Amino acid sequence: MRNDLRDAAIIELRSRLLEACLKQSQLPGGLSLDVLINDTLFHERKRLDTDRSSPTWAADVSFWDGIKSKLGRSGPAQHRQLLSAIIERFTEEVRGNFNPMVFQFATKVMPRALPVLLNAVSPKRLFRRGVPEMADTIKLQGNIEGLQRAAEQGTVILTPTHVSNLDSPVIGWALHAMGLPPFTYGAGLNLFSNPVLAYFMRNLGAYRVDRRKTAPLYKDILKEYATVSIEMGQPNLFFPAGTRVRSGHLEHKLKLGLLSSGLRAYINNVARNKENPNVYIVPCTLNYHLVLEAETLIEDHLKAAGKSRYIISDDESSNARKIAAFAQNLVNLDSGVVIHIGDPLDPFGNAVDEQGRSLDPRGRIVEIDRYVRDGSGQAIHLPQRDRAFTYEAGQAVASAFSRYTVALSTNIVALSAFELLRRRHPKLDLFRLLRIGDEGTGIKMTVLATEVRRVWEQLNELASAGKIVLADEVIAGDSTEIIRDALRHFGSYHTRAVLKRRGDRVFTEDMNVLLYYSNRLRSYGLEPKPDGGQQ
Amino acid sequence: MSDGRATVIGGGSWGTALAHLMAYNGNDVRLWMRNEERVAELNSAHTNTRYLKEREVHSGVVATSDLVEAAKHSRLIIVAIPSKHFREVVHTLGEHVTGEQILLSATKGFEAEHLKRMSEVLAEETCVKKVGAISGPNLADEVMDGHPTATVIASRFDEVVEQAESRLAGPTLRVYGNHDIVGVEIFGALKNVLAIASGIAAGVGTGMNSRAMLLTRGLAEITRFAAAAGGNDLTGLGLAGIGDIIATCMSPLSRNHTLGRKIAAGKSLEEARAEMHKVAEGVNTTRAICLHADRLGVDMPIARAVHRLLFEGHSASDVLSDLMARTSRFEHTERIIGSPMEQRGSVIESALAVIGRMGN
Repeated sequence: MRNDLRDAAIIELRSRLLEACLKQSQLPGGLSLDVLINDTLFHERKRLDTDRSSPTWAADVSFWDGIKSKLGRSGPAQHRQLLSAIIERFTEEVRGNFNPMVFQFATKVMPRALPVLLNAVSPKRLFRRGVPEMADTIKLQGNIEGLQRAAEQGTVILTPTHVSNLDSPVIGWALHAMGLPPFTYGAGLNLFSNPVLAYFMRNLGAYRVDRRKTAPLYKDILKEYATVSIEMGQPNLFFPAGTRVRSGHLEHKLKLGLLSSGLRAYINNVARNKENPNVYIVPCTLNYHLVLEAETLIEDHLKAAGKSRYIISDDESSNARKIAAFAQNLVNLDSGVVIHIGDPLDPFGNAVDEQGRSLDPRGRIVEIDRYVRDGSGQAIHLPQRDRAFTYEAGQAVASAFSRYTVALSTNIVALSAFELLRRRHPKLDLFRLLRIGDEGTGIKMTVLATEVRRVWEQLNELASAGKIVLADEVIAGDSTEIIRDALRHFGSYHTRAVLKRRGDRVFTEDMNVLLYYSNRLRSYGLEPKPDGGQQ
Repeated sequence: MSDGRATVIGGGSWGTALAHLMAYNGNDVRLWMRNEERVAELNSAHTNTRYLKEREVHSGVVATSDLVEAAKHSRLIIVAIPSKHFREVVHTLGEHVTGEQILLSATKGFEAEHLKRMSEVLAEETCVKKVGAISGPNLADEVMDGHPTATVIASRFDEVVEQAESRLAGPTLRVYGNHDIVGVEIFGALKNVLAIASGIAAGVGTGMNSRAMLLTRGLAEITRFAAAAGGNDLTGLGLAGIGDIIATCMSPLSRNHTLGRKIAAGKSLEEARAEMHKVAEGVNTTRAICLHADRLGVDMPIARAVHRLLFEGHSASDVLSDLMARTSRFEHTERIIGSPMEQRGSVIESALAVIGRMGN
């Protein structure tokens, strides 16, 4: 977001929050200001007990100690001032100004990584030399025009699938390539600790989100910041998966946070009679032949530790050599990433036509403002109703993710190989199967080719029904070619070869990562039927 | 809150009873029915003799055959059309409704081909998002006669529940809300299959023990199905679950129960249907459910038994003895008695469960 817009947004945000806090305190059953302050204080002190590595730890402790001592000896008039100070502190942090202390922190945790990063893949160099090659590396497809149109007809919330920490720079580049302005985006504080990512993030218009802060007031601030920015016409980027998908599966359970901000902004726009009130949700899928952090992610998933390590601070994206190797790979192998842009939706999950008007499931035009008007015609917020609307929009986004997933050679071959191995040991549970792997015997190329063809035929049928997208390299259905393309990727980047050909057989050295790449195509019912074996 | 108006689409017995209730509560009600003669009868004589005999319908109900007028009349529209024609009528209705309106399904059934619930059809054929379903122990004749009962309004939207409650709740009807629309609609549809089974059981002269077994195991079967479709387990214990099952399966007034008794008396499905002019939804539901139970991986022995009776020419006694001969199981987990419990992790326990001792 432009700096002047961002400042205006922050001012609006502060006044809205303070007003909301005051208003609710006067409602029956509302929280009085001192209770609200105490609650926030409680959450923050709990966080500070465990989050000692935070670069702002000392400053935070002294701030909250100050709040605590003042709260004890103040009356209602001072409560308002204290609350105002808390809101100011939170919003200032969200705003994401360059903070020398954060920068210091970054240099401290990555003393070895930093020079390599800055020299080997400095952002400048990546832009100067990388950009022309990016177009070969990142393939943009789908309804690009629809996205561009939606950006003119209203305010766009782009909702991509979330696979990797590289998603935001990749999307950042894609937006640039499509001639769109940078999108506002809430990025985890941990991402700002990587200077390369931080550089992209700031250029993407990122604001900062500290996932360790659990105070309800803080979460309200994040949500309302997005709302205000959407109302100001600032396009937003939002990953509904919340966090990178550990298992490699396509995400089904979506976080609805920013989708609900979209609806809230829309209602405010309508209530204010804004000339162009429309908000559009544009789902898109990011499809990587190889995923930078695949090894860590699947390990985290298999340990069932996804929750405890919600914030992974030591994966491949903080390892300079890994990033360099990955970047090298992206540039060497054309079409490493496919971005598929979906059709725009309205905040209620309805499709929209080329004029940006909403359509019902039978293609009839809908006046969507009526969804949010009460009996007297006023546009109003009803939180329970709006959650139900947002749930519907989330369903529409999840279904779009499924339809716009691009089946890549790596996914198809991984699924085929994994299922062949599973069939060798039908009674083993997953974890034992992962340990046994291919038992060093590998899979015969001809057998793999037959299985790839079987999977492809089903995929092709799904693709003709509009239920999935086939990547360019697999459209022809030549299983030998599909395997060759997948092996080209699989042999190159990961620590151990996901799949490697020796003679007339293919071997796997990393069952976990093989599972990871196969998981993308689960949920399409491509696995052979248990009794029928091969069809 | 309420605009004091309501619309009901479909002038069968339940649609008419709902219109009557809302008019009784002081609402201005439009009742859409296709048949002009019955429109005239309702507006002049205030009766719907085909479905409700001589019972008097409240004069606040105005019948119409004009779907546009009915659609524009009120913010709340209840659709009570047999599942077979539901989509067709709702599709036309979809031309005339707008986003602030509320659509409630009062039909207890599925669309056979894709096993769509009626509220799904409402959402697919119109622009309306605020959809819901009404279900519970509500035999139309008893409602018309003013016997006290309760009903469930199911919707993800509180607003739908509130709007429906404000028109329907009255001295003879208590209204409960439920967010589990999936479970409520599944129970509403599947209990009709159970009612046919119950009618058959009554017809062949079984006692109360048998009926109680049938209904309880039927409840278990439907709960499994609802859970597989994303419903809430507790819904089965509510009015739309066990409440509706008791009313429908124990009452000789229920159409599906009546159909079951006729089948038990040796009539074919065609003969039994020919003797009834009201639609027994359970017949279509049985067919639909058996088509889809396999796909969903849910064991539905009672629904399958009804299918064999209705469509495959098996006799009631054969089907009953087959049901009784099923392997014995644990309740709730459905583990077959005598089969070892699945052991996770411990090799020794797995071995002990089968062999019973170490070494040998």
